[in-house]
Amino acid sequence: MTDSRFRVAAIAVAAAAAIALPFFVADQYQLHLATLIATYWILVAGLNVVVGFSGQLSIGHVGLLAIGSYAFTILAGQHGVDPFIATMAAGAIGATCGFLLGLPSLRLPGFYFAMATLAFALIVGELSLAEQDLTGGGAGLAVPGFPAPFDTPGGFYWLVLAMAALVTWVTANIARLMWGRALVAIRDSEVAARANGVPVFRMKLLVFTFSGFTAGVSGALFASLQTYVTPETFTFELGLFFFIAIVVGGRGGILGPFLGLVLLTLLPEVVAPLARVGNFFYGALLLVVVLAVPEGIGHLVSTLRERFRPIKVEKQPVSPDLTRLATAIHAGKRG
Amino acid sequence: MLTVLITGLATGAIYAATALAYNVMFSTSKVLSVTTGHLSMLGGVFGSFFISVLKLPIPVGLAGATMVGIAAGLVTELVAVRRVLSRSDEHLWLLSTLALATMIQQAVGLWWGTEPKPFPRLIPQDFSAGLLDQKYWLPVAVVALIAVGLELLYRFTMFGKIFIAVSEDAFAARARGIATERVRALSYALAGVIGALAGFAAGQLTFAFFALGLTLTLNGFIALAFGGLGSNAGALVGGAALGLLSAIATYFFGGEYQNTIAVGLLMIVLLVKPEGLFGKKTVRAV
Repeated sequence: MTDSRFRVAAIAVAAAAAIALPFFVADQYQLHLATLIATYWILVAGLNVVVGFSGQLSIGHVGLLAIGSYAFTILAGQHGVDPFIATMAAGAIGATCGFLLGLPSLRLPGFYFAMATLAFALIVGELSLAEQDLTGGGAGLAVPGFPAPFDTPGGFYWLVLAMAALVTWVTANIARLMWGRALVAIRDSEVAARANGVPVFRMKLLVFTFSGFTAGVSGALFASLQTYVTPETFTFELGLFFFIAIVVGGRGGILGPFLGLVLLTLLPEVVAPLARVGNFFYGALLLVVVLAVPEGIGHLVSTLRERFRPIKVEKQPVSPDLTRLATAIHAGKRG
Repeated sequence: MLTVLITGLATGAIYAATALAYNVMFSTSKVLSVTTGHLSMLGGVFGSFFISVLKLPIPVGLAGATMVGIAAGLVTELVAVRRVLSRSDEHLWLLSTLALATMIQQAVGLWWGTEPKPFPRLIPQDFSAGLLDQKYWLPVAVVALIAVGLELLYRFTMFGKIFIAVSEDAFAARARGIATERVRALSYALAGVIGALAGFAAGQLTFAFFALGLTLTLNGFIALAFGGLGSNAGALVGGAALGLLSAIATYFFGGEYQNTIAVGLLMIVLLVKPEGLFGKKTVRAV
């Protein structure tokens, strides 16, 4: 089986398994977890383009998630906007906020940018507590659900899954085409990228705005899944969680961050003692990965695949034309 | 209004101390560690733990808190910086110090609890002293002492001179036979001392609170960026300015907008004068 056919088959199997998941889960909580992972993934896939491909370390995307959540809640819950339109509007508002945040902060070097996004997350938390008329303050707001057929847990799961698949497809295209190459060039050497005609700042701003859009959409679905939002939902640690999922999974791929996200979400569920020390565990995991495998655990997968791939030996038999060689040598001696 | 100014100066002093700790670590390693604010947090929490919980005398508590700060500084250097600096990836230190900072903060949160706990009185004083209360002047005095001490250290001791040599050009210092790795480790220990002392002195103002570290990491960095990276005078001025501005903003707009205003200040400074008030313009050889 060739590599691309193998890839298509793998994707088909994974998609079939993901679609059939509601029929296999043992209880509603497992389905809730699967929906949560898909919701997070919409954000993480967008953030991955920023962190994994263009190398901008944003640790404050939870701020954009919160903005999307509140936008959806206020539009759909208080103004009676259709939930689908409200979701798209939440994405648009997230993109706008991402654009406005990126406009000054993406000009800053690494640590400054990370601090700016950290500050952004804290500011959004602060404002969502302060603006009581809009967000309900610390008491929070109830979030409306989606209309039938998406009002059941299974139906909602399929809706989120479809959106997650769409976002994955878009990011895969970004990564595969010229965009992705330009972003990787920016990540690896900004000066070299600029010298080769990559509009560095414009590219960064574009992907950051895109990640704002996915964060907004993810926020809308997240709010609907949680059915109730308060400022305490959007702690800075949640933003760190998304970031750590990407770094642990591996920057510069799509499968890696997905594995990282699944691992980080499920491990505390499976191993009970980890749930108690939740964020400490995430920090420790990040430290171990950064020190031991800076490329991320997704890199391990591709390394193993390389190891077990059947080695194709290319034979290039050499059959010199001896008589012609001999005449050439003789001609050389005479001349 | 006087209350506002004095509160502002006292908070500004802690920001300034964090900025100084940033500077000390940055000058030898060119790393801005996310754990910087957590050093002060550890000073406050362990000061409270030693004095209030274990009932140790105050000098012993101070020494203990300082030792914890030194240990945290050394652990930062050993775990999060040393191994990472030898790799070429320039952002890796941000990830490793962020990971360590998260671990420190969460470990303290699990052990100490997530509620702010009171810090003991250090000097016998009546609570009716008002604005002359020790919780206001103690941080300012300690930070002033730290700044003067650093200046004396740099000017008059061999270690200070070695330190400056390493910060100017680590490669040349190494060629002169200076063990730059050891100087770097010592500078992290020194930053631990600064952070822990400041956190200890400001404990009555900030309380012994596990989440203080992240706030200080951010605000200390804003003070540093405002004053100019690498400049100790800039760190002091930036800290004082940020503290005063936050206090005044809180007075006029309410406490909910503190971060918004602090970051607004940072953005304006970075857009107008990217190297900060006292910073050196970096010229890159091409």
